[in-house]
Amino acid sequence: MAKVKFLVAFMLIMVIGASLLIASDTQIEMTVWNRWTYVKSGDEVTEDQFSLARGYLRLSHNFSSSVFGRFNVDFFSDEDGLDGAGLKIKYAYLDFKKLIPIQDAVFTAGLMKTYFGTIYDWSYITVEKDPSDLYKICSSTDYGLGVSGLIPGGLGEYALALYNGEGYKKTGNDVNKYPAFVGNVRVTPIPGITVGGSAIIANKVGTSEPYDKMNAYAGVGRFVFGPIDIWAEYIMKNYTDETKTSCETKSAGFMVMPIIKLFPNFEFVFRYDQWDPNTDQDNDKQNIMIAGINWNCASNVVLQANYENISYESSKSEDTKKVYAQLNWTFKTPKF
Amino acid sequence: MKKILVLLTLFVFICSSMFAFTWPWAKKDTGTLTITGSTTVLPIAQKSAEVFMDKHSDVNISVRGGGSSVGIAALLDGTVQIADASRSIKTKEFKAAREKGINPVGNVVAKDGIAVIVNPGNGISEITIPQIAAIFTGEISNWKDLGGVPGPIVVISRDNSSGTYEVFNELALGGGKVREDAVVLASNNAVAQTVSQTPGSIGYVGLGYLSDAVKALKVGGVMPNNATVNSGAYKLARPLYMYTNGNPKGLAKQYLDFIWSAEGQGIVGDLGFVPLR
Repeated sequence: MAKVKFLVAFMLIMVIGASLLIASDTQIEMTVWNRWTYVKSGDEVTEDQFSLARGYLRLSHNFSSSVFGRFNVDFFSDEDGLDGAGLKIKYAYLDFKKLIPIQDAVFTAGLMKTYFGTIYDWSYITVEKDPSDLYKICSSTDYGLGVSGLIPGGLGEYALALYNGEGYKKTGNDVNKYPAFVGNVRVTPIPGITVGGSAIIANKVGTSEPYDKMNAYAGVGRFVFGPIDIWAEYIMKNYTDETKTSCETKSAGFMVMPIIKLFPNFEFVFRYDQWDPNTDQDNDKQNIMIAGINWNCASNVVLQANYENISYESSKSEDTKKVYAQLNWTFKTPKF
Repeated sequence: MKKILVLLTLFVFICSSMFAFTWPWAKKDTGTLTITGSTTVLPIAQKSAEVFMDKHSDVNISVRGGGSSVGIAALLDGTVQIADASRSIKTKEFKAAREKGINPVGNVVAKDGIAVIVNPGNGISEITIPQIAAIFTGEISNWKDLGGVPGPIVVISRDNSSGTYEVFNELALGGGKVREDAVVLASNNAVAQTVSQTPGSIGYVGLGYLSDAVKALKVGGVMPNNATVNSGAYKLARPLYMYTNGNPKGLAKQYLDFIWSAEGQGIVGDLGFVPLR
């Protein structure tokens, strides 16, 4: 809690300092998720609580027309062992737009997005996390540097980046000295059809020698036709835990998520995931089915309701049902 | 497995239903046209809409300002049929549009010059592009540095969602940052009005907003007007767009055809903009 108090005080000083000293092109934004979660595993209710699932406090500043900075902390109350609230640093990066002599290319340094699969532009249409996040392929942000940009003519986007590889939650001795490489490309050859692919090459993961190895690949598709917007993703991961066995474990899975916008302020969302943690092993698959509704009840206020069913092939794990109701609201100051 | 089949059946039912019925979003196109965007293009869109509706009593055209970025964002959200823009669509916006199944087509409806204006009491009558850049980025802050009567320069600029700002920033400032104490206003009209009432001020507006209440400066020795914009002699010039999803169809096409007609281009000229022919 002392850490939270210190960081809140630090943020306030930054905000006031920004308004008094910098006084140009600075913006403060807050995003809050108030969530009710009900979880039933087998016949037992394992969770029934109201919580703050996210409290993003974001400071953005344009230092010039080509240099942009963002700092973002996340307050939350829904994890174990917290004294009231926890805090994570989620973004802290600078974008340099004209550093690289390629049109629409941006060089980014700091705690930045992980450009893999759908995780970097996941907008939480469902309350549930992005598949790469959910199945522990990678974190949504990580410390590093990279180049991202648009393919000429707006036909798509690309990114190449170098990260710690352990994600934004791991710092200090939890980070090894070997970086991970990420490449991503997406193209929209005709309006409404987007395809892409990503790769993470992390030959040394973790801090215990001999190091673990992890390579992951994702294929992404998005198809939009009128009010129907369908996202699809296939993920494959090869993982070797050198400390236990040198055998390689292969995991694979996919997600299909149709979104239907029937009325201007309503959308219905369905999602089906299948994840196989070890493709060489039988009866270990996990299936997730989600049905939900998003209601934009006011400007920048969304009420989300989701029903989620997690089923397992193995009889050792009990099927789990989750119900979420979430108020997702955002406000921001004008630039000052 | 049974649950998956139920879910898929439900999804297929909903999808097929959409082709069998006329849903609310499909009804919009018949007699209503919604237009949002650039405040520069706003007078053309408004006046054309008024005349068009006089000729077609069953048609309702709703026109709003908000800025080019606001208009293009609305086109991407599917909430308008036409987005007015005083700049071309950005690569980032174009990419986002295509991902959403929207194919933005820029229909040029007029040309415009961005006039640099001062208070009528200002003795300065000519300026260069490097001098404009120096004033707006804060390198020059007193009229005496331009040979004028000593006094502070009050810089009036536009907000970031303005296409006029984007084009002015690119053509005159070379992407430079406007000085931090600049007065930022939300429309051409507000800039013209503020400059007319503030001695020592300088701003920029579309040609359609010039009047006797403000003084337009020659830029590089060239006065902004129809002839100099058309010939390319006046450097701070740009086309004005009405963006549609794909080539214009139905009512949007009828409305744009009207603007492109001799009568429509007459309206463009009457409003102080540069007609296409």
